[in-house]
Amino acid sequence: MTDEYEFEIKRKDESGKVYYSTYKVPKDKISTVLEGLLYIKENIDQSLSFRYSCRMEICGSCGMEIDGKPRMACSTIVEDLKKDRIRIEPLKHYKVIRDLVVDIDPFFEKYREVKPYIIRDDDGKYDKELPQTPEQFHEYANFAMCIKCGLCMAACPIEGSDPQYLGPAPLAAAWRYIADNRDKGAKYRVEVVDGEEGTSRCHFAGECTEVCPKGVDPSFAIQKLRRTALKIELASIFGGR
Amino acid sequence: MVEANKEMKEGISAWAKFYRKGTGYLAFAFHRLSGLVILFYLYLHYTVLSNLLRGQATYNAIVKSITYGPYDSFLALDFLLALVIFYHGANGVRLALNEFGIGMYHHKALFFTFEIIAMILLGLFDYYALQFVGVGF
Ligand code: HEM
Ligand code: SF4
Ligand code: FES
Repeated sequence: MTDEYEFEIKRKDESGKVYYSTYKVPKDKISTVLEGLLYIKENIDQSLSFRYSCRMEICGSCGMEIDGKPRMACSTIVEDLKKDRIRIEPLKHYKVIRDLVVDIDPFFEKYREVKPYIIRDDDGKYDKELPQTPEQFHEYANFAMCIKCGLCMAACPIEGSDPQYLGPAPLAAAWRYIADNRDKGAKYRVEVVDGEEGTSRCHFAGECTEVCPKGVDPSFAIQKLRRTALKIELASIFGGR
Repeated sequence: MVEANKEMKEGISAWAKFYRKGTGYLAFAFHRLSGLVILFYLYLHYTVLSNLLRGQATYNAIVKSITYGPYDSFLALDFLLALVIFYHGANGVRLALNEFGIGMYHHKALFFTFEIIAMILLGLFDYYALQFVGVGF
């Protein structure tokens, strides 16, 4: 055991060259991976690029591959990794802009596809409040915890082989609104999520749920969507509700 | 439709990179591998059967060569095939249940339960198969 961590960081410069830089970070100066990166930037190498904002796992911007797994830099305690040499890489399945900064636009575009907002069938012309019991709230509360960090997209093996696949967080968002009793948009969302690039791409590897920092369970949401889609399809074939 | 980001692509073998470590991932990766193995066997099986077109004598000679020799060691692969089929079948039933929303809260426990049952059945299958070919215990 030494009194320094070695941060081994995968980098990409403006010319597109990919290389690793290793930095020594004193153990008594930092506790999280993000603090380690900030220590490097302030004391060793100002050119190191990474994204962060809140430092408290709420903005969703500091996602990266830490020790081979997608994690949030601000909430990953270095000591918990039980290693002195820590390898840090940009998130997989995203285009790297520079060093640890990736382009998350395609992820947000997919997110928008599933219509992540309440859809009503009354054009918003209701004269009473829309009531919601605590039980109804808990139907979707877990899925509303998503901070759009995109770790799940980096963990999903299907995202890796088929970049068109909508992916865990967008599908979980579709379920978050369908499970909301105020929402009437299930039939519109099912059109989007029941396609070839939607729930049928999921093979239930469950890695999204494994890595999610907020305890959202996208793989659960996807199976729920499958059931909902099946019900709506069957109803459209055989009539009924 | 979202424009695909080509640089996101890890390649068609993304699913076969074993840096992912969850139970669900391993179940999925082995399900795919086993599916491909069974598919390969299916065509192998068709190929062997298609020798029927070449007459009874040819077909019998081929079957004899893999059951009595000189290629009888191929029979050992049958045990491997049975293992793969039992694994695939058990996990397949679990997946089908989960996709209907059944047992979602316990999908890992369900995976292990189904696989343990499948392996016990496999043991029985292997035992009777050995009896059938005349290997006594
Ligand atoms: C006991 C009977 C079987 C059951 C219950 C079963 C079940 C399943 C299920 C549920 C899937 C989808 C898995 C997923 O979504 O990832 C699947 C995939 C597959 N199965 Fe089977 N199956 C059976 C027999 C077979 C046979 C006999 C073959 C080959 C001839 C086969 C070849 C495959 C292949 C190639 C895949 C695709 C794997 C993938 O894309 O990941 N299966 N099976
Ligand atoms: S579901 Fe979890 S891992 Fe995926 S974007 Fe939301 S918070 Fe991040
Ligand atoms: S810095 Fe905001 S989530 Fe990590």
